[in-house]
Amino acid sequence: MNAQPPHWANRLLEWFCAPHLLEEVQGDLHERFERNSTRLGVKLARRQYAREVVSFLRPFALKRQPNQYPSIPLFSTDMFQNYLKIALRNLARNKAYSAINIIGLSIGLAAAMLIMLYTKDEVSYDRFHAHNPFIYRITSKSVTPAGIVANQQPYTGIFPGPKFQAGVPEITTFVRYQENQKDLKQGNEVKSQTVHFADSSFFSIFSFPLLSGDPKTALKSPKSVVISEELAEKNFGTTNALGKILFFKDDDKFEPYTVTGVAKKCPQNSSIKFDVLMPMMVKAEDMADNENWFSVFMNTFVILSPNANLKTVEAKMNQVYVADARESIKSVAKKFGITDKTVYSLQPFTDMHLSKELPASNGLVDESNPTFSYILSGIALFILLIACINFVNLTVARSLKRAKEIGVRKAVGGARGQLIMQFLGESFLLCFAAFLFAIVLIELALPTFNQLANKALSLSYLFDAKLVVGYLILFIVTSLLSGFYPALVLSGYNPVQTLYSRFNLSGKNYLQKSLVVLQFTLASFLIIASLTIYSQFNYLTSKDLGYDDKNLVVIDKSNLKRSEVKLLKEELLKDQNIVDVAPKNGGFWGTVAKINGETQLSFAYETVNETYLPLFKIPVLKGRNFSTAFPSDSSQSVLVNETFVKKAGWKNPLGQVVDFWFKNEKYHVIGVVKDHHFASLSQEIKPQLFTMKAANEYGKAFIKIRPTTETASLQHIEKVFKKLFPLTPYSYKFLDQENLKRYESEAKWKQMMLFGAILTIFISCIGLFGLATLSAERRTKEIGIRKVLGASVTGIVQLLSTDFLKLVSLSFIFAFPAAWYAMDEWLKNYPYRINLSVWVFLATAFIAISIAFVTVSWQSLRAAMINPIKSLKTE
Amino acid sequence: MKRTYLGEFEEIVLLTVAVLNDAAYGVAITDELDRQTGRSVSISAVHAALHRLEEKGMLKSHMGDATAERGGRRKRLFTVTALGSRALHDIRAMRDQLWNSISPNALPAISI
Repeated sequence: MNAQPPHWANRLLEWFCAPHLLEEVQGDLHERFERNSTRLGVKLARRQYAREVVSFLRPFALKRQPNQYPSIPLFSTDMFQNYLKIALRNLARNKAYSAINIIGLSIGLAAAMLIMLYTKDEVSYDRFHAHNPFIYRITSKSVTPAGIVANQQPYTGIFPGPKFQAGVPEITTFVRYQENQKDLKQGNEVKSQTVHFADSSFFSIFSFPLLSGDPKTALKSPKSVVISEELAEKNFGTTNALGKILFFKDDDKFEPYTVTGVAKKCPQNSSIKFDVLMPMMVKAEDMADNENWFSVFMNTFVILSPNANLKTVEAKMNQVYVADARESIKSVAKKFGITDKTVYSLQPFTDMHLSKELPASNGLVDESNPTFSYILSGIALFILLIACINFVNLTVARSLKRAKEIGVRKAVGGARGQLIMQFLGESFLLCFAAFLFAIVLIELALPTFNQLANKALSLSYLFDAKLVVGYLILFIVTSLLSGFYPALVLSGYNPVQTLYSRFNLSGKNYLQKSLVVLQFTLASFLIIASLTIYSQFNYLTSKDLGYDDKNLVVIDKSNLKRSEVKLLKEELLKDQNIVDVAPKNGGFWGTVAKINGETQLSFAYETVNETYLPLFKIPVLKGRNFSTAFPSDSSQSVLVNETFVKKAGWKNPLGQVVDFWFKNEKYHVIGVVKDHHFASLSQEIKPQLFTMKAANEYGKAFIKIRPTTETASLQHIEKVFKKLFPLTPYSYKFLDQENLKRYESEAKWKQMMLFGAILTIFISCIGLFGLATLSAERRTKEIGIRKVLGASVTGIVQLLSTDFLKLVSLSFIFAFPAAWYAMDEWLKNYPYRINLSVWVFLATAFIAISIAFVTVSWQSLRAAMINPIKSLKTE
Repeated sequence: MKRTYLGEFEEIVLLTVAVLNDAAYGVAITDELDRQTGRSVSISAVHAALHRLEEKGMLKSHMGDATAERGGRRKRLFTVTALGSRALHDIRAMRDQLWNSISPNALPAISI
């Protein structure tokens, strides 16, 4: 055989050269190649050939000859009318198919739009302030001597705000913001009201408009208060409340506060939401106490000048801190043995809402986990994808019916571009119908969604330019995604074949099959996820906590004195429904002490009395409980839990010394308490220590009541409480309900996943239903012949269903490993968790297969039941 | 007189087509150019020039026979049109006129 010029060069030439020039050009090149290969050798000739091909990359060779026929306009009104008519007729004729497509797509679109709404709201948090990009929160981190960041601290004390402003010129203003509870008198009622203290600069930094009052002076003088319009309405029946008086309790006495401003309701997407705002009053002696650098309990925000460099500002802040706090850094380090260094930094105000490390808490609200947004977007994408797959699959599968139409169109001169336009247009039309439907769906689903996502979104949010553009893009992308492939396939049919009725579509059809597998992979994944989350949730809520939280009423009373406890108990026990009363410190306390001489151990620090452990039925494993028989218990003895003993490494815990060296107090362990989940199950059990130390205040009381006596007991408790503490607001909680509340986020996940799983499986199934219908239709004759030859109904159902069921089973191969991995990762968040069991996977397989089987067999059964005479007669 | 725009290379290609008479196609023209002028021109440049000349109406073409060495592809054979011929003549007349106008000793001698 003769030597050939390089293949790639030939291909390249054929690709770029204008068709009408190709023959002569290629011929000339070949001729020269032939001559060169005898003259110069094949190798050089090939190289020369390639060079010459490349040299033909010139405009004249690239330019195509104008078509000798007039080009057909892609948009012509006449054709457009025809397309519309045909599309509408097709939709009307195949109602089931249209319904499947529209329902599927609208659910998918609605899900995607809802999530866009959600994410838009999430990222819009705190962006409405006029000073927006320049507002920062002062945060800090402790760095160990080794340079490792031990923890990050979003809060600050009273110093950083004023001192940094004084020392760093770039910081123009600051505001400190602190949450507190104050008792508010309304008529004869006393109510505990959340209030916020803020510096007078509050309204100059944040853009919260006042309905009345002067934002500059509203928080200047003590005993003034700015209230929300809602609170004004509630207290005075009008928002015109300027100058009116509210009574708040300060140190056991109700004091009059003058309303100096009424603020408009805080926007929904604000981390700062207040009802009552009071001027922050810092005492001079507190400002003088340099150790207050280390007392950290509130948020401080600053405004930087627009051209400030963040790094330099942070560096200057730390210089100010080190210079100002030098003495107390030393003294505190000595006193508490602290070796960590504090480093101040700034966090952009708009970053708080979605920050995991430095969340918007401690008086700020709505802190949010970005993972939640990601997962939601993932689910929405899944749903939309599955709906698009339905569209592609059904359109391609249905194309046999339209093959003749395509053939005729091509025969009378329809160009491929026109056909593509036609089919794309049809998908746009369907998508548009789905889009309208989706908006209705959103309107219906918003209340439920708001509740699940803890939001107050409304449809009116939609009329936001960015969001509308987003939706339009979504609409176009969906239309293209679902319409492009079918349009390409359908328009590519050969008219001769289609018109000759020798057209065979029942090929391998790998695309359709793999799309079905993809759909069910996604659906199975979500089923597994929701089953796992369900069982983990059940586990969390039903796991034995190690104590009895049934029939326990919790009442809060700050600064509950020992004598008051005694009185309360006596009074309460007068009713026989009350079993016992045990006081405890309010909130969670933690502290650190030395054990085994020098080792420091941090632990939960519980101030209780001798009734506490018996009341909760927490067993004492070694030693004894506190007892009134030993008066020295309150000053010398503590109890610890098993984890404490383990961490301390004690073989014989009884009699060991716990040394609170910074207070110069030493206690002896008199008993070991069985480990119990005093905190949420999402945390590991930590070391815990019980004391009766007289100087520690109690903050709440647990009241054990007899079962089923809730109403009577609560009435009695309220009566006693109001009699004993008339000035303290009364509120009660049931401990078991409180414990359940800890798992609210899991409950939300559970519901979200469940919704996602149901929607995906639903859309997948209607798609499968459509495919089964079409395949049954296509095989009508075959089924007729089989029946005539003696096939049974079961046999035929089996024949029609197995193909689909195989695909569904195949999807498990992909879904199971992915789901196993994802769920395993998720479960790692929980120290106390279920094991991923085989049963979850088996159950998923069962659910998916049975749902798919029911869907498919319904159609198969119908096809199999048809009288063969009828089916054979159809033409 | 209407001016004829013809580049130097185009003129040479047009002349070569005339030289080759009935056998003027890409490869032959390139070879002839090489032989007659000693210029090694690329085949694509020749094609481009031919294309341009055809667009200007100075050449016309038809497809010729296929040969085995061309892989069974036909060649495009070019012939000079009347307009082409006119252009060549015009150029020649103009050059002659210019030559005739040069006084005998105006040009420095280039050979003894």
